[in-house]
Amino acid sequence: MSFLKVSGLVKHFDEVVAVDGLDLDVEKGEFFALLGPSASGKTTSFRTICGIETPDAGTIELDGADRTHATVRERGIAMVFQTFALYPHLTIRENLAFPLREQRMDRKDIEIRIGEVAELLKLTHTLERKPGTASGGEQQRIAIGRALIRRPELLLLDEPLTNLDAKLRHDTRAEFKRIHRERGITIVFATPDELEALTMGQRIGVLREGRMVQVGTPDELYEAPDNDYVAGMVGSPQMNLLAATRKGSDTVPSVALPFGEFGGGAWQGALARFPVGEALTFGIRPHEIMPVAASSDFDGPTLEAEVHLTEPLGDVVILDLLAGDARLKMVLPEEQAMAYSVGDRLTCGFDLATTHVFAKETGTAIR
Amino acid sequence: MFASRSKSRSVREAGWGRTAICGLVGLIYFSPVLWMVLTAFKTRQDALATPPKLFFTPTLDNFVSVFYRVTESGAQFSTGMSLFFFNSIFIAGMGVLLALILGTMASYGFSRYPLKGNDTYLFVILTTRMLPPIVVIVPIFLMFRITGLSGSYVGIILLYAMFNMAFSVWMMKSFFDELSKDVEDAARLDGAGEFKVFFRICLPQLKAGLAATAVFALILTWNEFLFALLLTGNDTRTVPVAMARAMGGQLGVDWGLLSAIITLFLVPVFIVTYMLQNHLLRGVTFGTVKN
Repeated sequence: MSFLKVSGLVKHFDEVVAVDGLDLDVEKGEFFALLGPSASGKTTSFRTICGIETPDAGTIELDGADRTHATVRERGIAMVFQTFALYPHLTIRENLAFPLREQRMDRKDIEIRIGEVAELLKLTHTLERKPGTASGGEQQRIAIGRALIRRPELLLLDEPLTNLDAKLRHDTRAEFKRIHRERGITIVFATPDELEALTMGQRIGVLREGRMVQVGTPDELYEAPDNDYVAGMVGSPQMNLLAATRKGSDTVPSVALPFGEFGGGAWQGALARFPVGEALTFGIRPHEIMPVAASSDFDGPTLEAEVHLTEPLGDVVILDLLAGDARLKMVLPEEQAMAYSVGDRLTCGFDLATTHVFAKETGTAIR
Repeated sequence: MFASRSKSRSVREAGWGRTAICGLVGLIYFSPVLWMVLTAFKTRQDALATPPKLFFTPTLDNFVSVFYRVTESGAQFSTGMSLFFFNSIFIAGMGVLLALILGTMASYGFSRYPLKGNDTYLFVILTTRMLPPIVVIVPIFLMFRITGLSGSYVGIILLYAMFNMAFSVWMMKSFFDELSKDVEDAARLDGAGEFKVFFRICLPQLKAGLAATAVFALILTWNEFLFALLLTGNDTRTVPVAMARAMGGQLGVDWGLLSAIITLFLVPVFIVTYMLQNHLLRGVTFGTVKN
């Protein structure tokens, strides 16, 4: 049964529609990632779910009960802000104690809880200081501590890693997973970073302009994106998305690309519904393209390309290829990539089974 | 914190040349105050001496005669100045306090819950300070006479509160605008009600802003002459008005007495400003430096 159920949520600020009919369904104990670029409505969704903002339309259910018009206090949802939003005039101990004092908890019990949370988040040595003197990572942990100390059933994390440097981000990702495992709370996590979403979310919801575009496990989103937006959003480097046209006969369709015409992918059957000449988007992941030696017996589709740019990333290298008018990326292990330099021509091959075709007009996947 | 640390370093590095120039400029600005304080301790002869005496035997006579005089027959009488000092402190204090309390609350509203036409309301508040007092003094005087507020503490305190309101609303609003709204929302999520958010979360972050606003408003009110001249009575007269009355006399201006009054008049503002100086600097530079 779903723990948090949001249906048709709408929120606008004057003319600007921040959330436009959002549906969200989170299971109890789940670690759910909300993936979307900035201004896609992540923060507004969170603020509306926890009750700071009032929705213009839609319903919010918590644990089966309608909470659309409940007060912030009644919902009891904890949230970690992107800016951390610590109380600058209170010590770290007082910051942690604040939510419990508001619940009129016994002073002794508060101290016990602070001890627990400080231990969990390695804050014990900082308690008497003001948050302004703490490092970025510590401030982050204080913000999490202040959210956890209430023992909420639902925790919303709004881009909690955005304000941290790269190394700290990595550590904190592991930290979140640990907390989730140990505390067993339901976490919804907003992020503009697909890598964070893929590594942390048990399920991911992709948000676009205030609407949910696709919800699924990381594998589902990666293997079968519902549209070109999700295809471009999930996976790094980004999926190659090339302009293509529906060709072939009415019953045996094919896809025409700048470097050839292909037919036979999982999409072929569905493509027959589209008229010849329909504009399409063809997608193939950089990892699925490989160089083909002239002597090999590779019988799949191939393309002739020129190396335009190389981006070495340590163990792998991204090769930027020019094939006719099309530009696409290919990822190779370093030892394999060493054979190519800028200006070289090569033959590449790919497996049609790994390719995706989207209708250009709607962006919807054809399969 | 970083600002003060780097500041002290730059002072140390400034060297003697710059320190000397700063000292000289400071002395020029300070010289009228110095003249006044010295004159307050001079006898009438010393005060009028040309060239002015820098070294003399100090006397407290002027200070005594601020409060007590002796008639030709030898009887001692009170000048009433102690009452006027009390009036100044009480009226300015209450006026500023009232403006600060109401202004801070109003500015929080303007900052956090903007109304339709928010800017218009703010502008309307500002207009109360746009006209020179001399322009509005006549209608205000008539209003005070009709309502019976003329000459009362309540009247002049309300007037000063109104007078300081525009200033405190505008200044405090800019401070509130600088505060992170996320912090307030975090407090709401933690279960705090609106009053707690305002008093426990917002205000403590704005101690510096409150101090700066209070000092500026206090100085303006403390020095105010025109309204006090026309709207206070014998019992509610403030020091600036009393001082003006003490200036004239059959024997010409008594510079020593006048200087003594002004010196005493300086003391309360000096103490308040001194006590709040740390906050003051932060308040004035609030928002201009990101820390």
